[in-house]
Amino acid sequence: MLPRVTDKQRAAVSNNGDLENRRSLMVNKFVDLITSLKLTIVCLAAGMALIFAGTLAQVHLGIHEAQQRYFQSFFVWWPPEGRAIKFPIFPGGHLIGAVLLINLIAAHAKRFRWAWRKLGIHLTHAGLIIMLAGGLFTDLFAVESHMRLANGETKNYSEDISHDELAVVDITNPEFDQVTAIPESVLQHYHIIRHESLPFQIVVRNFFQNSRLQVISEEDTKAQPLANRGPGAQVMVQPMPRATAPDDQNVVTAAIEIIPIDRPGGAVQESLGTWLVSDELGAPQRFSWMGKTWQLTMRPARYYKPYSVTLQKFTHEKYAGTEIPKNFASQIALIDPERSLNRDVLIYMNHPLRYRGETYYQAGFQKDDSATILQVVHNPSFLAPYVACVIVAAGLLVQFGYHLVGFARRRRALA
Amino acid sequence: MAFSLQILLSQKPVEIVWCGTSLVLLQITKNVHPLLKYSYFAKEDVICGSLTMTMGTRSVSKTARGIHLGAPANATIILLALVTFFWGCDRNEEIKVYRLVKPSGESEPIGKDAIASTNAPVKSTLERVPTPTGDVPVPADWEPQPLSEMRQASFLVKGEKGAVADISFVKLGPAAGNVLDNVNRWLGQLGQPPVTPEKLTGMIQKLPTARGEVDVIDLNGKPEDGDASKDGRIIGAIASDEATSFFKMRGNAALVGAEKEKFLKWIAAMRTGAGSESTAMPQGAAPSSNKPQIKWDVPPDWSPGPASAMRYASFAAPSDNVDISVVTFPGDGGDDLGNINRWRQQLGLPPADANASNIVPLKTNETTFSTIDITGANTRTVAAWTRKDGRAWFFKLTGPTNGVEKERPNFVKFVQSVRF
Repeated sequence: MLPRVTDKQRAAVSNNGDLENRRSLMVNKFVDLITSLKLTIVCLAAGMALIFAGTLAQVHLGIHEAQQRYFQSFFVWWPPEGRAIKFPIFPGGHLIGAVLLINLIAAHAKRFRWAWRKLGIHLTHAGLIIMLAGGLFTDLFAVESHMRLANGETKNYSEDISHDELAVVDITNPEFDQVTAIPESVLQHYHIIRHESLPFQIVVRNFFQNSRLQVISEEDTKAQPLANRGPGAQVMVQPMPRATAPDDQNVVTAAIEIIPIDRPGGAVQESLGTWLVSDELGAPQRFSWMGKTWQLTMRPARYYKPYSVTLQKFTHEKYAGTEIPKNFASQIALIDPERSLNRDVLIYMNHPLRYRGETYYQAGFQKDDSATILQVVHNPSFLAPYVACVIVAAGLLVQFGYHLVGFARRRRALA
Repeated sequence: MAFSLQILLSQKPVEIVWCGTSLVLLQITKNVHPLLKYSYFAKEDVICGSLTMTMGTRSVSKTARGIHLGAPANATIILLALVTFFWGCDRNEEIKVYRLVKPSGESEPIGKDAIASTNAPVKSTLERVPTPTGDVPVPADWEPQPLSEMRQASFLVKGEKGAVADISFVKLGPAAGNVLDNVNRWLGQLGQPPVTPEKLTGMIQKLPTARGEVDVIDLNGKPEDGDASKDGRIIGAIASDEATSFFKMRGNAALVGAEKEKFLKWIAAMRTGAGSESTAMPQGAAPSSNKPQIKWDVPPDWSPGPASAMRYASFAAPSDNVDISVVTFPGDGGDDLGNINRWRQQLGLPPADANASNIVPLKTNETTFSTIDITGANTRTVAAWTRKDGRAWFFKLTGPTNGVEKERPNFVKFVQSVRF
């Protein structure tokens, strides 16, 4: 696959084999490799194989896990999890995409010669670059979350059910709550968490990505709860393997110790106790420190909006005599005090609500139709695929049109 | 001409600087870890890099500078650097701090309490048990409130001079039923000191209900910053059986006292069969006594289906989505052709004329049913009806074609077993 050394390069080495030229030879080889069209073909073929394998893998892994392992990774690993040694067996989506993008840009930069008759090719390539870059940006910056609304319920936040956060809320002020939201991944990766908004440090004693909580019965004297404060002191935590099925949810649990610090960076004081925070312990737990009341909750990560959404009515039509859904629709009221807006919107299949950079899709409903579930997608690069398609189509039209016109002229000239 | 652009992504700065047209300068600094950071520094044909590692208060820095590469190679490296930089941005690792304005309005302290009231000792079994409360009569002055994740019934009572009381019903797992903890939690909400188990025994009153005794407790007190119109007294009831039910009324002391009798009656009503988890209809029996009584033998593999106001009885067969319904109306229940055409329309078929309606009689010991079998594109309906003692009875089997085919013999036996 390495490109051949050209005669010019060989001559350069043989004539004066100094270090500078060796280096330039190496660089040229590298440049030839990344601009090689063979590399494009290899990447495209690998991409096809990856999509095929990743699609099949969804059967066993569920869509989220398959996406993460096959497409949102640099390598596909074997064995996938829980073993000490793993081997990369195939390039992942990120690697293929990145190489393809670099290859496309580099090849185009190297071979770029401006000419009107090449306009179509340039446009097509520009479209492809936008498409690939758009895919990358979507992957990096798009945020998907859900909003579950019961009839009549109003919310101004959506939740990411696949990521949790520890909300440490200062509820002292009667006007507002100050929330410090610590993502699950921080609890998982850091032992001591300090933040300027908190007059204490949080020491993560235990972290479980998935767990089951059991109440310690009175007879069980041997059981050692992880926490010594709050309801967690009566609970045993049983670690569970990470859930993979699309309907299963991880129950994130952590035992955290609150140790006050008198000022940022200051000396450590006596502990305020160890608390258990978990998805299953839904209710907030409270403690006081320095005249302030704090509340601890483990909950799905929240994205607050400057506007609120109220579910007025959820309709669920079925085909007569069956349970097969025909139509779901959510009649909602959108209230945005900043923009003095109050309007009613009907969200249904293929008719999402787009507002302030977010798109609300009808995604699901509670089994007894008492609540609707809206998917909320914030994707700053959602226009990229549309723009890319238009540019590629325009490029192809120009290119084929140019050839067609040329061909027609030549035929007329012959005739 | 110099042009500097700073991009702030995930609070990590990338600086891209253009100086004129020939010089491209790019600097990226990235914190890989709190203790480790690296930076790239590149211009047209020179690339520099530095790696800084912090150990305690000392930091060790290694810098590689001045590697001369060709312009294309450097452009590629810049691109790679940008790409790895973007990949490294993990928005999931950011601690966010924000302020939320507390919900304003009258029901605010009660709204907060709604969260607090879920602070039962342990909720390891948080699945919500569907509890139909609609059948239980509710006093007229109780205004239904939106239900929450926790609350399975919620009402607001308004008294004079803005006094309010909030009534809630929360059902949790069996482990949640430690009375002492819950009472002490409620006392805490009223700003009162906790009680000992001995003292608690004297405070509990027993309320007999159809499903065992309920522990009722009446607590007075007002938190320091509380509002007397909304706070001052809690009457709580805890019932423990297969699950733990919490009934709670909290609000203005006088209003809570006035509503106490109604509240206890409501608890007793909720604790009869009507408030139980079971929606199962007793086999062959009518759902309530004022309805006409008929008897039948239900095929063993049918299970009771969802109840509805329209239906006299409803069953689900093991085949997917097959629904069996029994409906009765006083009078003759409309003419046969009209009914048949309504069923045809439900299956997406055009109306049939009188001659082509294919009604087949089905004779039983007590009466003769008219039956019809209608097949639509994917769904099918088998219906049997009769008129007896001034009422019309409709038995209907409907669902996907295959499922209906499988259940048809059971349905015929079921219809034949009907005794008026």
